[in-house]
Amino acid sequence: MSSKLKLRKIRLEDMLNNNIWDVDPRPHIILDTSKCRDCEYKPCIRLCPVGCYVSHGDEVLFSYEGCVECGTCRVICPKEAITWEYPRSGRGIHFRFS
Amino acid sequence: METRFDAIVIGAGPSGSAAAYNLAKAGFNVLMIERGRRPGAKNMFGGRVYKAPVEKAFDDLDKAPIHRWVVKERISVVYDEEALTIEYDGRGRHSFTTYLTDLSSWMADKAVSAGAKLITEVVVDRLLVEDGWVKGIISGDERLYSDVVIDCEGVNRLVLEKSGFVEPLEPDNVALGFKEVLKLSKDDINKFFGLEDDEGLAWVFMGEYTEGIPGGGFLYTNRDSVSLGLVIYLGYAAKDLKSHVYDLMERVRLSRIFNKYFRDARVMEYSAHMIPADIKSFRPKRLVYNGLVIAGDAGGFLLNLGYTYRGVDLAAYTGYLAANTISKVSGEYSQESLSIYEDEIEKSFVGRDLKKFSGVHTLYENRRLFREYPILAINVMRRIYNLEFESTRFRDAFNQSRKGLVGLTTILKDLWGVYRNL
Repeated sequence: MSSKLKLRKIRLEDMLNNNIWDVDPRPHIILDTSKCRDCEYKPCIRLCPVGCYVSHGDEVLFSYEGCVECGTCRVICPKEAITWEYPRSGRGIHFRFS
Repeated sequence: METRFDAIVIGAGPSGSAAAYNLAKAGFNVLMIERGRRPGAKNMFGGRVYKAPVEKAFDDLDKAPIHRWVVKERISVVYDEEALTIEYDGRGRHSFTTYLTDLSSWMADKAVSAGAKLITEVVVDRLLVEDGWVKGIISGDERLYSDVVIDCEGVNRLVLEKSGFVEPLEPDNVALGFKEVLKLSKDDINKFFGLEDDEGLAWVFMGEYTEGIPGGGFLYTNRDSVSLGLVIYLGYAAKDLKSHVYDLMERVRLSRIFNKYFRDARVMEYSAHMIPADIKSFRPKRLVYNGLVIAGDAGGFLLNLGYTYRGVDLAAYTGYLAANTISKVSGEYSQESLSIYEDEIEKSFVGRDLKKFSGVHTLYENRRLFREYPILAINVMRRIYNLEFESTRFRDAFNQSRKGLVGLTTILKDLWGVYRNL
């Protein structure tokens, strides 16, 4: 196989397939999306390292499943739209090589 | 399980395990509470640990899961897919690379072997505070009592926030670190980076990868993998970052400078973690309260000088100091008697370093370090080395490169700032 093939960007979804989670059926992060519409910068979209926040017009689409529990979103959200807890019972991300 | 302990430690990371290990050795009945499935499961770092402070906190460090001893240091500035690098090819074995996930497990095992109790998969919700004293912890409906609590919960300190001991974090207080762990053979790593056996490389770089935003990149060689990542200061990134942070990461891996190492690599993990940024604004008002001691990242013990990056060793060492203080004042845990811990920290290398480098964060505010100077450096190199017929004088290369980019007095002023703070 040509090595150049491997020099392509890996899609974030594929990158995340290398990680292990035990996803808590109850979301540990709750986003009040009504507050996102007036948010000018929406920094969560660019700064969540695993892309839990996705831009959709003026709205923000959110999914918690791929969260690595870094806490960035809760710190940078200018609208205080995020309620953030740690996943219970050992759920969530399970790092092995970090 | 008995519900009263001499001490409860929140978090079985490097700081918590150091505290629990040393308290257990001193005969205390200690409980460590960890939210991960195993200690280390929620830990992430860049990739290197300085040995000496960790050796104070833990015996038999030579039996720890150490990957490589760093003998080679590189610092690069990068612009337009070209790099100017300083390399120190030394013999010192003062720091090592590892997976923090494994090192944390090893540290927690040491604490357990010494007699500490460990419960995992339990999230501490808040401190149990009665009449101005911390009396234990609350997790869900459960209350666990102890004479003293050591908070080693890490950077994302929800327990301290919810219990009212610190203000909520602001973007300016923290940076985000994220990395790809890339599998390579041990032989390839040694060949690529000019290493032998268990020798390791630590490489930090700054410039275009962070889009001129304060921060930088790192590469650490593990035994048979490489940790490649970036750190970005959130206060600046929240306003100015144009790209998604993951795209920055991939640009590093795919860049001309780095892609040659990773053509046959396989991704093992992609992880991220916050990092205390500015020492002054991150540090809690006090490190001790009635019945409470704060250690590790939660206390803001992190030192980023641009050329060295220290967190794990400070975490272990402050955990160790916390245990020492508690042993010393045994049973008398008022804020006043626990303040020995604050004194011990001030007297130790941790306090001296934090004081010595307290102005370092002002350097991050100087965006020219991340934008103009990498451009200047690369353009000077180009003018000197990419010659056809006539050779270039250094001063001509320098003056032509800085024209329109940055003035001479500004350069002198910035050099003075670096000189003063580092």
